[in-house]
Amino acid sequence: MVLDTPTLTRLALAALAAPLCAFAIAGLALRSRPRAAAALVIASGALTALATLAILALADAPIQQVWTWLRVGDTDLGFGVLLDPRSRLMGAVVGVITLLVQIYSTGYMAHDPGRTRFFALLALFEWAMLGFAYAPDLLQAFIFWELVGLASFFLIGFWYDRPEAIAAAKKAFIMTRVGDVAMLIGLVLLFALAGTLDIRESLDRLHSLLQGHGITSLQVEVAAALLFVGVVGKSAQFPLHTWLPDAMAGPTPVSALLHSATMVAAGVFLFARFEELFLLAPLTRSAALLLTAFTALLAALLASVQVDIKRVWAWSSISQLGTMLAGLAAGGLSSGLFHLTTHAAFKALLFLSAGALIHHYGTQDLRALGRAGARRDRLTMLGLLVGAAALAGIPGFAGFASKEAVLTAVHDVPGRAAATGFALLVIGAGFTAYYVGRVAFLLLRPTAAEPHEPTPPDAHGHPPTTAMSASILTLTLITLALAFAGPLVASLLGQPLPELALAHAVPGIAAVALGLAVAVFDFGRKSSAPPLFERVPALHGLLLRGFYVDAIYQRVFVGAARLCARALHFAETRLLDPAADGLARLTLAMGEGTARGQSGQLQRYIGVAALLLACVALWLGFAE
Amino acid sequence: MTPLTAFNLCALALFCMGLYGVLARKNLIAMLIGVELMLNAASLNALAWGRYGLVDPAHAAVSGQILVLFIIGLAAAEAAIALAIILAVHRHRHSVDVDDLDTLEG
Repeated sequence: MVLDTPTLTRLALAALAAPLCAFAIAGLALRSRPRAAAALVIASGALTALATLAILALADAPIQQVWTWLRVGDTDLGFGVLLDPRSRLMGAVVGVITLLVQIYSTGYMAHDPGRTRFFALLALFEWAMLGFAYAPDLLQAFIFWELVGLASFFLIGFWYDRPEAIAAAKKAFIMTRVGDVAMLIGLVLLFALAGTLDIRESLDRLHSLLQGHGITSLQVEVAAALLFVGVVGKSAQFPLHTWLPDAMAGPTPVSALLHSATMVAAGVFLFARFEELFLLAPLTRSAALLLTAFTALLAALLASVQVDIKRVWAWSSISQLGTMLAGLAAGGLSSGLFHLTTHAAFKALLFLSAGALIHHYGTQDLRALGRAGARRDRLTMLGLLVGAAALAGIPGFAGFASKEAVLTAVHDVPGRAAATGFALLVIGAGFTAYYVGRVAFLLLRPTAAEPHEPTPPDAHGHPPTTAMSASILTLTLITLALAFAGPLVASLLGQPLPELALAHAVPGIAAVALGLAVAVFDFGRKSSAPPLFERVPALHGLLLRGFYVDAIYQRVFVGAARLCARALHFAETRLLDPAADGLARLTLAMGEGTARGQSGQLQRYIGVAALLLACVALWLGFAE
Repeated sequence: MTPLTAFNLCALALFCMGLYGVLARKNLIAMLIGVELMLNAASLNALAWGRYGLVDPAHAAVSGQILVLFIIGLAAAEAAIALAIILAVHRHRHSVDVDDLDTLEG
């Protein structure tokens, strides 16, 4: 069954309107009624999920419907929906994951006094992300892109009485803004080259202009590179990656959403949306491939030493996003988006089950969680292990199929850059398997507490509620099912997944096997030998501090900003203020001085005037 | 002494009397009379110069007189306004002593 165009357009508009209305009503009218707000937001989420799923399943040819809201010169500023395979897939991912996170949040946030605001912001987040996914217009895409950033700023800083949450929110906002500025310039350049705001039309025009030598390939490269900087910021790729691990300061459901279907996925989706542009810019593509593959390895290394379970998943997100982007940069549209889809499911699952453990045991420390008895939460652990298996890329699970698709896509690209990227990705996959195994063993086979480790706080926690368990179970099933969704995604996007040749798959599978083996060796035995990285204390310290990237940024950029601020403060308090004060004092003194001459006596004034006139007359007379 | 000088000296005497009145008398009406004297001194000068030279001979006889006519008209208007102001001041302050009007003292 295929729905007709008006119905699909209406469905898309409903999917957009529902969360916006829920946000407005919950945020404005239901401040004191959290249960009603949660119910409303979940109802809107369910509506949106159903609508996006229907759009995904029941559409055929691409649909584009744009309403002009402003005409500037010859340019129409439009708002509308573009339902092509990419946006339909992305929209469905957003709808389903958001709904599950919203349901989960009723349990996780049950005791939070600000939960009305929380649910309202979740709805805002969903609306922004969906508006971005469905955007047919450069300007609309940019507006919703920024709204996604704004909503995540609010949600990361949700606990506004915690300084680290405020700092993390600010950091996320400012660091992504760095990329956004470049991206805005890129969008403007794209508009200048193609002369239209319509995304698909601008890409078509760019293609024909380039063939007719209307524009140079350098211009296209620059536009693509600028857009890629925006992707780097949003998807937390090196060197703009440090905000994502800090974003853990937000509530866990937010992390689940932020890391899977929204925010960071927006960067990947932007790359997929402009895939045709990147295909015209081979230089940028190669650079992007190398950079993202490097990020994938770097983040996997950093994830291997974290003790905070949320930070492990955060670094793993950066690593997986790098993998997706590498796939897209290699031209594997369906591989990249397939990995985006599977990752959205299993990363949401990993965060939600980690959140359930944190909710129950009141700590985020992996070792403490293991010791507190995390393995007794059967359902949660089942979800976590399924997600972990998918993340590690164990054959038969979702992550395996999609990651192998990406690896093959990268492998199929000729050239040294792609070969290097492939090697980086394979090594990254090995470390991914290693840290996943590490988390699993630390939770399942707790070690005895070492004296210097902090004791977990007294657990006031609650076991996961039915809503939380239901969400985790649903996501577990989705994750398991997605292992077989590759061909569906490929046929939807009209680009077959690359053939899984044994020669290409062997390095990846071998790396995963090796990583898992090392993890078993390090954490699976009753042994007092320190694990892999702790044997080299210098490297371990380097990894724990994220290769000092944050410290360097702190020194260079924050330091420079502070220095500037101090110089300006000096200039204001020591130069400008005294100057203004002195001017004021001078004026006052002059006024007081002249006021003394004002007696108020009329005749004295007249006398002085007459005297002066007489003097002038005499002077004129003698001058002759 | 030419007639012009005589008239000028007479006007000077009138002007000085008027200025003295304006500067020395404390009553606003007396000051106003001083002002009128100064105006008359100026009129006298204008007439004298008009009659005895300094101005284009072709119009000499009348130009000074026309100027004086304007001065008389002006003086009448000025006297009316000044008296009105003096009346208003008197109503507010029950005094026409100029030394009392020093609210603009700095």
